[in-house]
Amino acid sequence: MNALAGQSAVLFGFLAAVFGVGTTAAGLVRKRPDLLRRGLAHVWVVLGAAVVAVVVMERALIGNDFSLEYVADNHSRATPLLYTVASLWGALEGSILLWSLILAGYLALMARRFRNRADDPLVGWATVTGLAVAVFFFGLMLGPANPFREVVGKIAADGAGPNPLLQNHPLMAFHPPVLYLGYVGFTIPFAFAIAALATGRLGEGWLIETRRWTLFAWAFLTAGIILGAWWSYEVLGWGGYWAWDPVENASFLPWLTGTAYLHSVMVQERRGMLRVWNLSLLIATFSLTILGTFLTRSGVLDSVHAFTESPIGPAILGFFAVVVAAGVGLIAWRGDRLRSPGAIDSPLSREGAFLANNLLFGAFAFVVLLGTIFPLLAEALNGERITVGRPYFDRMVTPVALTLLFLMAVAPALPWRKASGELLRKRLQWPAWTAAIVLVACVASGLRGVGALLAFGLGAFAAAAAARQLVLSARRNGVRGLLGRANGGMIVHIGVVVVAVAFVASSSYGHRAEFRLTPGESATLAGHSVTYLGTRTVQYPSKKRVIADVKVDGGKVYRPALNLFPNATQAIGTPSVRTTPAGDVYLTLIAAPRTPEAPVVLAVIVQPLVMWLWLGGALMVIGTFMAVVPGRRRRPTEPASAPAGEDRHAPPAPDLPGRAPVRVPEPVRDPVGAARPAEASGA
Amino acid sequence: MSSTVVPEVRAAPPVAGPQRDRHTARWVAVGVGAVVLALIVLLATRPPAADVIAPSPIVGQAAPEIEGPGLDGATVRLSDLRGRWVLVNFFATWCVPCQKEHPELVRFSQRHPADEVQVLAVIYDDQPADVAEFFEKLGGDWPVVDDTGAKVDFGVRGIPESFLVDPDGVVRTRLIGGVTAAGLDGLLRRAEGR
Amino acid sequence: MSAPGGSPLRRWLGYLLLVPVVGVALLVGAGGDDAGPPTAARRAASIAGQVRCPTCDGLSAAESESSASVAIRQEIRRRVDDGETDQQVLAFLVGRYGRDILLTPEGSGVAALVWALPVAGFVLGAGALILTMRRRRSEPLRSATPEDRRLVEQALGR
Repeated sequence: MNALAGQSAVLFGFLAAVFGVGTTAAGLVRKRPDLLRRGLAHVWVVLGAAVVAVVVMERALIGNDFSLEYVADNHSRATPLLYTVASLWGALEGSILLWSLILAGYLALMARRFRNRADDPLVGWATVTGLAVAVFFFGLMLGPANPFREVVGKIAADGAGPNPLLQNHPLMAFHPPVLYLGYVGFTIPFAFAIAALATGRLGEGWLIETRRWTLFAWAFLTAGIILGAWWSYEVLGWGGYWAWDPVENASFLPWLTGTAYLHSVMVQERRGMLRVWNLSLLIATFSLTILGTFLTRSGVLDSVHAFTESPIGPAILGFFAVVVAAGVGLIAWRGDRLRSPGAIDSPLSREGAFLANNLLFGAFAFVVLLGTIFPLLAEALNGERITVGRPYFDRMVTPVALTLLFLMAVAPALPWRKASGELLRKRLQWPAWTAAIVLVACVASGLRGVGALLAFGLGAFAAAAAARQLVLSARRNGVRGLLGRANGGMIVHIGVVVVAVAFVASSSYGHRAEFRLTPGESATLAGHSVTYLGTRTVQYPSKKRVIADVKVDGGKVYRPALNLFPNATQAIGTPSVRTTPAGDVYLTLIAAPRTPEAPVVLAVIVQPLVMWLWLGGALMVIGTFMAVVPGRRRRPTEPASAPAGEDRHAPPAPDLPGRAPVRVPEPVRDPVGAARPAEASGA
Repeated sequence: MSSTVVPEVRAAPPVAGPQRDRHTARWVAVGVGAVVLALIVLLATRPPAADVIAPSPIVGQAAPEIEGPGLDGATVRLSDLRGRWVLVNFFATWCVPCQKEHPELVRFSQRHPADEVQVLAVIYDDQPADVAEFFEKLGGDWPVVDDTGAKVDFGVRGIPESFLVDPDGVVRTRLIGGVTAAGLDGLLRRAEGR
Repeated sequence: MSAPGGSPLRRWLGYLLLVPVVGVALLVGAGGDDAGPPTAARRAASIAGQVRCPTCDGLSAAESESSASVAIRQEIRRRVDDGETDQQVLAFLVGRYGRDILLTPEGSGVAALVWALPVAGFVLGAGALILTMRRRRSEPLRSATPEDRRLVEQALGR
């Protein structure tokens, strides 16, 4: 019953998406607005179908319906409710179902937002693209990734239960949906990018209207990545949070290009430039989400699994090829004709800084992508297997990251168009001194290591520059001065600095040791003492747990454990962490004792400032939401360039609310109704 | 500013204007497309990983010594088995493919006299008591050794993994994944033919 | 540009003072790693950190608790205690597991590409960026011709 209902819903959604694409395409070709409107309405049917499918799956999971293969593989009667609900996205087929639901939700939001402009071919093209993506994902569920496949033969009375690693922590419940809200969220800006290229209408602010979408998607993606790192830290037991492994890199790559986009789109808003480049960034970001899904789902990077084990790999790769072909094709066909004629006046300007930003993020993304797929490249080239591990990424990424920190400090102080040394000198004076003081303080307190010290110094530089902007803005406008794009952006920058400093501190100044302790025995590491008190074994319905009681620093007792699941004979460890703002003491039980008096092997890892990674990430997300709230009221398409011929002693200071607005030429209104920024040359 | 004043603009003639028509975007796009196409071809043509015989740096070298207590406590050594073909088999009782290949190993060991071909099982991260119980339940009379360092000496990446060692003590083949009696017979025939 | 505040030296004095301060701080910060010659335990840990855990995804043998990693750490410690150099221990592991046991690709042949390509890419990208910007800037300014003006007036409905 569930299988039938679910499969019908998926089929229904698939057909609705196909008809939606057809109807809208027909409306575009025949120039019939009524068809366009009808095509857009199909989005609601797709959403309904996705919701039904998800409800059916949850019903099957919660209701212990083991006639479904997915339920039999990923659920058991003993699984607690939260993890049961979360096992919807615990394995491949379910995660495709979640993706489809979120995609349908975003498409519906798009339909609602643009319902008054459904006649516009631009919206039509975006609809076609969005629904085509939906066709792919629903199609996957009809074929290789069918979540409603029924069990062949005897239906078991109980299932295997979720992967033990997924049952250890409630974070598992939130990380994939949040990540997908980010990942999938880039589909809509991508759809509009394709639409802009297809219709040739690049200069009308459409990309700026979708800027808010991109910001939200970016915020969710940031949150998803941070949650993933937090989960990795709390659950996997190795004491780290980021290993540059393919799954992490797959989520990080679109974040990098998305961040580049968020910056360079500001150049488009202000100067009308980089239009085709911004479109390319959006297409690249979406393509990277598909490539990332391919790399993590197809098993191609696994040394043990065969790529061709399941047809899902070739399907995703094929879709990736289609997406890239469409993007490349459109840009090759149209790109040159649509390029904006403007130019950068001076590299020492906000525009120059954003270009440098894009270059650096591009280099960053290139390094991460190359490192991830290089083992495949090397094997194809000369048959030899090579590992590209964490040290490679750390070494290659460090100079890029340090330069980005420096840029974060300097760029907010740079005005648009052209900066003078005078202006920069004045604005960066006290941030530079703050940085120097922080650096000296770090060295004086005994910290060593040029890379880490540079990171702290440059981080202080960037944070001080951001704080300066915020203070100036708050002084003029009070609390309102903290809202709006520029100020929210500064908060995000501070969040990034916090994350960077915490990352560097915990990687460079951590300590790790293993101790064999008998009950009552203590050990010390890096100024912290751990005392092993004893072990006890607890039997749960779904697992057996051996818990060690360890007293840290003579205070609270922490309980690292080993969990034994009936269907997996290897024990899965649960670490126990003492978190303070200064640092974490991370305990893992390596080997359980055979008898109560026998010694245990305890691994202790002391890392400073780990908590600030999560707080910094939260600050980034908060800053993004503050950036979305409008601050100074200003039409996004209004350029702030100085009018030609006016003489000024110093370039106008950007983004300081409260200043007299710069006089601008009146924008030319075009028939469709969105303003086109007037191009004006600098004198 | 009144709208009749036309500001000075930088020229960018839309189409023809031979010196300006550089089609930068087109060439960059085509270039990127070509690189991505190469990447897709690379990803699509991965060799099937289901191939059982895997490369190893110790193939063709003398087999590292394995030494440790057997299930009955007496010391078992790989070098004691010199003069016979030895199939060194790394396994554990909790590993599902190992459980599946066990009957095949039983069949293989029964087909060949022990003074010509011998299986030597090496425990990989398991308890000898559990292994003894495993053998009691499922049969198999070949020696079992508990040597935790052997997995490093042989460069073992996972289980089950097996190595065929010739009577002179040289490693001939590395097999990853479960084995079958028929497959092992064929392998042995080919190796002896040299 | 007239510059209030005095001579260039006076204006930039703040920054000029920064340079030696930062320089000295970094110099002090670079040197002086507290311990003297590394202990056997430290050496073993550092070697294990350069080697990947053969059965895990992306962890080093120093971090993982899998039995393969534990065995590798024991073997490394044994060899370090026996007096082998870091290179010898790593060469032994490569000789048993293959080159991909090393977490970082070593410099020769195809492996060198992974280090060289990003640098080359960055240089190319920076070069392309500078070239494009310079090319666009050197385009001559044009004034509007009477033809253009007529077009504009037409479009504005006059």
